[in-house]
Amino acid sequence: MKHHSIGEFEELVLLSVAALHGEAYGVSIQESLIEKLSKNINISAVHVALKRMEDKGFVRSRFGGITEDRGGRRKKYYVITAIGKRILDNQYELRTSLYKMIPKISFGR
Amino acid sequence: MNAKLPKWPLLFLRWFCREDYLDEIEGDLTEIFHRQQHSPAKARRQFLFNVLKHFRPEFMRSINLKPQYNYKAMIRNYFKTSFRNLTRNKGYAFINIAGLATGIAVCMMIFIIIQYQTSFDAFHPKKDRAYRVLTEYHHEGAANITYDKSVPYPMPVGLKANFPAIAEIAPVFASHNDELIVAVDNNAPQKHFKEERGLFFTDPSFFNIFNFPLLAGSYGSLKDRNTVLLTKEIAEKYFGDWKLAMGNTLKLQSGGFMFDHSTEVLKVTGILATIPANTDFQVKLVVSMRTSYLGTLMKESTTWNEAAPDFGCYILLSPNTSAGNFNQQLSAYAKKVKSAENKDNYIIQAVNDIHYDTQTGNYSNKAISHQLLNVLWLIAAFILAIACVNFINLSTAQAVNRSKEVGVRKVLGSNKFQLQIQFIVETFLIVMIAVILAAGITFVTMPYINRLLELSLSFSILNSSTIILFLVAVTVAVTVLAGFYPSVVLSRFNPITALKSKLAAGTTKGISLRRGLVVFQFIIAQSLIIGTLIIVKQMDYFINQPLGFDKDAVVNVPYRIDSIRISKMDYIKHQLLSINGVQAVSFSSNTPVEDANDTWSTLKFNHDIKEEDFKAITKFADEEYVPAYKLTLIAGRNLQPSKMTREFLVNESLMKSLGITNPDDILNKEISIWNGNIKCPVVGVLKDFNNRSFRNSPAPLLIATNVTMYNQATIKLATTNIPATMQAIKNLWEQTLPGFVFESRFLDDKIESFYKQENQLAQLYKIFAAIAIFLSCLGLYGLASFMAVQRVKEVGIRKVLGASTAGIVYLFTKEFVILIAIAFAIATPIAWYYMHTWLQDYVYRITISWWVFVAGGLAAIIIALTTISFQAIKAARANPVKSLRTE
Repeated sequence: MKHHSIGEFEELVLLSVAALHGEAYGVSIQESLIEKLSKNINISAVHVALKRMEDKGFVRSRFGGITEDRGGRRKKYYVITAIGKRILDNQYELRTSLYKMIPKISFGR
Repeated sequence: MNAKLPKWPLLFLRWFCREDYLDEIEGDLTEIFHRQQHSPAKARRQFLFNVLKHFRPEFMRSINLKPQYNYKAMIRNYFKTSFRNLTRNKGYAFINIAGLATGIAVCMMIFIIIQYQTSFDAFHPKKDRAYRVLTEYHHEGAANITYDKSVPYPMPVGLKANFPAIAEIAPVFASHNDELIVAVDNNAPQKHFKEERGLFFTDPSFFNIFNFPLLAGSYGSLKDRNTVLLTKEIAEKYFGDWKLAMGNTLKLQSGGFMFDHSTEVLKVTGILATIPANTDFQVKLVVSMRTSYLGTLMKESTTWNEAAPDFGCYILLSPNTSAGNFNQQLSAYAKKVKSAENKDNYIIQAVNDIHYDTQTGNYSNKAISHQLLNVLWLIAAFILAIACVNFINLSTAQAVNRSKEVGVRKVLGSNKFQLQIQFIVETFLIVMIAVILAAGITFVTMPYINRLLELSLSFSILNSSTIILFLVAVTVAVTVLAGFYPSVVLSRFNPITALKSKLAAGTTKGISLRRGLVVFQFIIAQSLIIGTLIIVKQMDYFINQPLGFDKDAVVNVPYRIDSIRISKMDYIKHQLLSINGVQAVSFSSNTPVEDANDTWSTLKFNHDIKEEDFKAITKFADEEYVPAYKLTLIAGRNLQPSKMTREFLVNESLMKSLGITNPDDILNKEISIWNGNIKCPVVGVLKDFNNRSFRNSPAPLLIATNVTMYNQATIKLATTNIPATMQAIKNLWEQTLPGFVFESRFLDDKIESFYKQENQLAQLYKIFAAIAIFLSCLGLYGLASFMAVQRVKEVGIRKVLGASTAGIVYLFTKEFVILIAIAFAIATPIAWYYMHTWLQDYVYRITISWWVFVAGGLAAIIIALTTISFQAIKAARANPVKSLRTE
């Protein structure tokens, strides 16, 4: 594995893929992100992140069935791989450990 | 949501997007589009925006979208199959290569000729500012203007004083028939040399205008009297070694110009490097202008009204001076210095234009018109086109044979583009072989072309980058011209029909194009044949047209007069007449017909104050001139013997120019020429004869006696035993005048030389016409043999059903005869128009008769039929059993 680094947006997409397990494809990922982040995200950004992570081996993809509203085009479903899961775990641990190092700071007046 | 996806963004997406991503991306975008809650217009904008956002490298198709080929191997394969194909069809390959090689060789030779011709005097660094001054003669009627390179004596001094725009000015006196005596030291025997041309009188400024480098000495030495610069070749000829020549002396005998006949001793003060062949200043000796009294004449003469023969003027304008402006000032100046009735003008001509001015001429007599150069280009292009047409016809005809190959290649995954490349490579291979062959042909034939055109061309591929460039350009151009169309036709085949061999019938479109090309070839070939016939006829007409005087068995011996020679004249005449075979002897300034060596004078008639507005050729000759040349007198009598000028003979043209109709009316009237220096009565009127080349009609003419003006002896011989008579004449001359370099020239040879360019043109046209018809027939032969192979079964069946040999030959030849007939119908008006225009240059010209066209057409048809019938008869006589046995 060459690429173990992961960007912030990629991490969000990867989390969505993991969360939507089995039902993650371009549009569903975009929608869940828009909902969670409350800001507009372009589908192309999602596609770019997915392709990069597939190259890095964080996600796997398979083609789904053809549906009417897609103009005869197949869906491409993504699932997280073991490596992807480990990356998410690492990120989570890293953040939690860092968070725990924060001394108690009072912002009161 | 029934809104339709916007078409163009979708097509764009499908165009750029990777195939394996398209499902996902297009699907997602479509889904988003349909889920939109916005207005359809906004949804469409959104869709477009989304597509554009996806337009990024990771989603794009790779530029190399095809499966990766092994290109090296493919290219090697192209060459291999091309080579195999060539060796399999040796006959076609030979026809193609031979045709293209001939065409390219012709093209290359013409290119070399044109390159040489356009290089004339292009090597002078200041050539863009260098000009020669021409005298512009206004003859009777305003339309008739001619130019002369001679100018009046006072011109150089006058121009220099009045025109600050002139940076340098060089007077040039071009002498001819000079005799030179050389003694290397006092004890050595004297050697005599004669230079017909190449002796120039000028001053150092000539070399500030033109670039002729020195090996030794200085240009400045020409400021002194009696100095001479020799070229390396002349120095070696005279002294053996040019280093020996420096500082030595030589004698110029009876050299110089008209009025001066003394012998000058000249000191060699410089050696010029070899004069390049591509200059019209073919310098051999350069004598200082101050030698003898030419310099004085230039300073003191005021005769602005007469141009001095052989006296020219060259100038270098200072930078940023426009020639047009200068010419205006020059016209104003001409009006000021010339007498009121003299309407002649002066004009400057760029040195770069001299070589193309065939009317005015130059010192080398090698001028070539732009028109002729263009015709040469055109012929080169046409001959190359014929060769390309052959190639196109043969390869498209052969296409049927290769349809299977194309089919198999396409089935195995080859695409159109690759097939085109393959056929282009094949063409390229053929063109390369043809170019190499053409270079060989050019190399071998160059000496013949040189001899024919009297040029000194060289063909060295390695030395000349332009030749290499030309060869590369020709290779590329021919490959594209000849290879493109067949490659398109061949690669277009539908593999299914090709493999089912349904293509044998051939596409009608291809055949009609092929027909068109055959017609095109024969238009060119027939035009050239007709043109050649007309030029040859016109030449015959020139040579055989009665001139109005006797030119047969007349010999001219150049004989410049000096004090000794004047005293020997009577003796020589007497002795010559006693030689067996000599019928008449006359001394004169020149012959009745001259191309450029005439003196033209303005004249006053019958004590008029005003000069007449025409000029007359002025010849000086003794009383034997009229009988020796068998000139006819229509009124009055011949000249009486005299050493001075006492009487004039005139011709009919002069009489008519004066407005006199009855010849007797002009007799005993006085004519005055040369500012009244010569005033004599007219004693006889001569019937008009051709005193100029046949390009022009007879000009007004004056003939008078004057011993000092004689330049040559005319000897009329009996037609029997001419060599012995000539030997006796030579001996007599050399005994009478020791050291005299005897030269002689037959008048008919000289007259023929007036038409040298026409003769060369006729020779060239003959060659080109022959090549054009050869190439066209080569193509026809290829087509016919191909057709014979294609139709072998048809012929077999026809024969079985009872067709005769003649019938089958007719079948084969009919089509081609029709094509050639069409070509003839188109070629005739083209050739007529072009040749008619060409003939307009000649006052004496043939009328183009119908039989020339018939002969040209018949010749083409007969040659073509001979070519085709060979194949047709072979096909017709084949045993039908053999052709029908297998299926």
